[in-house]
Formats: sequence, C-alpha cells, structure tokens
Amino acid sequence: MLRDTPRSRIVLAVLVALSVILLVLDGRSGRNPFTAAARAGGELVFAPAAAGVGHVTAPAADLYGTLRMAPRSADRIAELEETNAELEEELRAARLDEGRAEQLDALLHLSGLGGYEIVPAQAVTRTTSHGYADVVTVDVGTESGIGTDMTVVNGAGLVGRVIEAGPRTATVLLATDVTSAVGARLESTRKIGVVTGGTVPGGPKADLTLELFDMEAPVEAGDRVVTLGSHEGAPFVPGVPVGTVEDVQAAPGALSRIARLAPAVDFASLDLVGVVVAGPAEDPRDSVLPPKPDAPEKEK
Amino acid sequence: MRSALTLLSVTLIVLAQTVVVNRLPFGALSDGGPGPDLAVAAIVAIALTTSPAAAAGWGFGMGLALDVLPPADHAIGRYTLVLCLAGYLVALVHRNTGAPGAVSGRTSRWFAVGVVLVTSAGVGLAYAGLGLFVGDPGTGPADIAVTTVVGSALTLLVSPLVTLPLLWLRELMVDHEFATVQGPMSPRGW
Repeated sequence: MLRDTPRSRIVLAVLVALSVILLVLDGRSGRNPFTAAARAGGELVFAPAAAGVGHVTAPAADLYGTLRMAPRSADRIAELEETNAELEEELRAARLDEGRAEQLDALLHLSGLGGYEIVPAQAVTRTTSHGYADVVTVDVGTESGIGTDMTVVNGAGLVGRVIEAGPRTATVLLATDVTSAVGARLESTRKIGVVTGGTVPGGPKADLTLELFDMEAPVEAGDRVVTLGSHEGAPFVPGVPVGTVEDVQAAPGALSRIARLAPAVDFASLDLVGVVVAGPAEDPRDSVLPPKPDAPEKEK
Repeated sequence: MRSALTLLSVTLIVLAQTVVVNRLPFGALSDGGPGPDLAVAAIVAIALTTSPAAAAGWGFGMGLALDVLPPADHAIGRYTLVLCLAGYLVALVHRNTGAPGAVSGRTSRWFAVGVVLVTSAGVGLAYAGLGLFVGDPGTGPADIAVTTVVGSALTLLVSPLVTLPLLWLRELMVDHEFATVQGPMSPRGW
C-alpha cells in the first residue's frame, strides 16, 4: 500500500543508520570526541543567541514576573513595612536604653566617688500647673525610702532637693529655681558662698548665681563649685558638683562677690537621677569633681 | 529559492525552539512539564509538501541541530532518528493515501493542523520509547503519557503560527516554480 521509490528508501536507510550510529556513539559511556565537538559547536551558536534573546526580552520577562508577583506583592509590602516598623522601634528602644545605661553609669560613678547611697529614679515630668517653679517629679517615693529634704543628683552633679515625697512619687525642687539656695564651696580656695537659682538682685542674668561672702576671695572664671553640705546631710550632702564659674561681676559697693555659674547638670535633658538617701560618712571634699578638663591643655 | 527560504525558516524555528521556547516557564502548567515542539510543527509542513526522502532529510537535519544545541539532556541522534522517521512517514502516507492536497497542490489548513497533532503524539511516544530502549532513567509510563498529551496539545496550539505559514510559503514557491508546468505531475522538490 505504501509505495515508495527504491532511491527514497535508500536515503531513509542511510539517514536512519547515521542517526543510530550517532546515538550509539554518544550513548556509550566515556567522552566521545566527535559528539563532544558537535555539542561544543552547538553551544557556540546557542550562547550568543540566548544572550541576545535574553537581552531583548528582558523587559518583557520583568513585566511578566512583576505581573505574576502583583497579587502577592501587596501582602509582601505590608509585611515588610510591619517588620520595618518593628525594627525601627527596637532600634529606638536600644538607643534609649544605651543613653539610660550611660546615665546610670555616670550616676553610680558619682555616688561611688562621694560615698553616697542613692536610689535611682526617673524624672517623670517638668511641667507644673503654672510653670513658675522649676520642679520635676520623679518616680520614687516614701515606699523607696525617699523623704523630704534629700539631695537629688545625676551623673553630672547636683539636680536639687526633694520638697515633697508621696508614696510613689516625689517632687524635686531644681537648683535653678529662684527659691533654691545651696550652700557651696569653691573647689580650690575652700571659700564658701551660696548658689541661688536664677538671678540675684544686682547680679547678671544666669541660671545659677554664686554669692561669695568674702569680698577678697580670689575667684575667676573656670573655678568649680561643690556643695558645702548641710547639718546631717539635709537638705544637701557635701561634695556634689554644682557648676563652673563663668564670669565674676565686679560690682563696686556690693556687699558680696557675685559670679555666674554654668550648671554642672544639663537641666533641659534630665532623665535618670538619683536621690541620696544617706550621705557620706565624711566629706568627700573635691573628689567627686571630674578631672579638670582644661588642665592637660595648659600643660601643653 | 524554495529550499533556501525553507532552510532559513527551519534555522529560525530551531533557534526559536532552543533559545526562546525551551527557556519559557512551562513548568507552571504541569509539574516540570514539556513545552510546544516547533520542530514537529515545521517538519509536518515540510513533509506535506515534499517527497518522503526529502522530508526524512529535513527531519534529520532539524533533529541533529536540536540534539547538538543545549541542553544536552539526551544522546545525540535520539531526536534526529525520531524526526527523520516522522518526516519520512508523514510524507509517505500523505503521498500514498491521496489525502487532501496530494493532487490539487493545496493542503487543507485543518488537515495540516490535524496531522501536526497526530505527528506530535507519535514523535512524543517514539522519543520516549527510544529513551526506554537506550535506558534513559526517569521515564515511566505515567510520565510518558502526561508529557505526550501536554506536549501534543501545546504543539497543536503553536502550529497555526509555524506550520501554516511554512506551508503557505512552500506552496507559494511551488506555484511560482511550476506555474507553467502542465500535466499530472505532483509538485515536489527539496
């Protein structure tokens, strides 16, 4: 039924024989040089063609991939945003914790130097109903052993004193309040005076003002001031850094020498503070003061 | 002229199969499944318009090219043998059964597409059977059935884009070359 010319049959037979030979050659185990060369040639054609097609169709392929991923990408974006927010929160918390840890370190350092026994606390708020008084609320109270007229310090120096202690909170009058007066002593000359918050009459405008009782006392900018200490450590324990003299006012006819102080504590960023529940056994004198920052420069 | 154009088309088809079709993600349709086979679609168009020996030659060439081009997942000669036989058989049966187009010189488009489907299934089975014969691991009866059915369906889908234009081109060239030839001579040639 299926007729064909002998020549056609011969052609077919030859082609089939060739195929079978190739099949056997390539199918044998081991590397055949002929088929390997053929494959290498094929690769030579394939590689540039495939690269070219890939280059041309890359935008289409991208589009296809994007469209395929589109339903899922919204979820993916939401998921990533959520993760991102979480991580940001963690990072912020970590930074805050780091700052706290540094402050606590400084506080412990200071209390260790002075021999103070402190209760750490956090300054909760600085707002008052009227805003006239410079006070903060801290989150410790009588339950933690806090009472009125206790000194409050932080890692840098004097913050103020407790004026009101509730069970769980206490109110601290800052040293910068105009009603605050702290007995103070000059670091080097041991001359005593009073540090008041704000400006005294006739004095320069300042956060803290030092009034020295001795008119003749040598005082100049850069001198540092520590607390003098009160009877039985209330309201102020001795030796807490208060500030640094910025300038001295030469007021003719004044009854005392008035100096403007730069506070040792940054009152604008109060966070972690310590309430001194027990003062040192003996006056630490100037040992709580940090090393003079400009002393090494002078040596140079 | 006809042979040159056919050669150009076949080259393009083989390259398209290797470089484009084989890299499309057909695995999405069936689990790691097959894609359409442009070579089968092309060999049908050639076999319907030439002698068995010539069709066998074209099949041999295309199969060899596809064997040599990457990916080298099978022995060289396997697809060559299958396509060579496919071309020969399609041309032989077409010549001897007086199927539509054998005498008039114009092949029905529906008939060509049907031949593509049959040939595709036959080529799929023969390729898999040859794999079993030479001991290709990873071909089981279930795999062969799925691959053949899916591959044939996809080949059928692309055949209007490959078989019909190639058929049209080859018949157009025959018309030109044999426009003045009269008599009971059927159009043939390489």
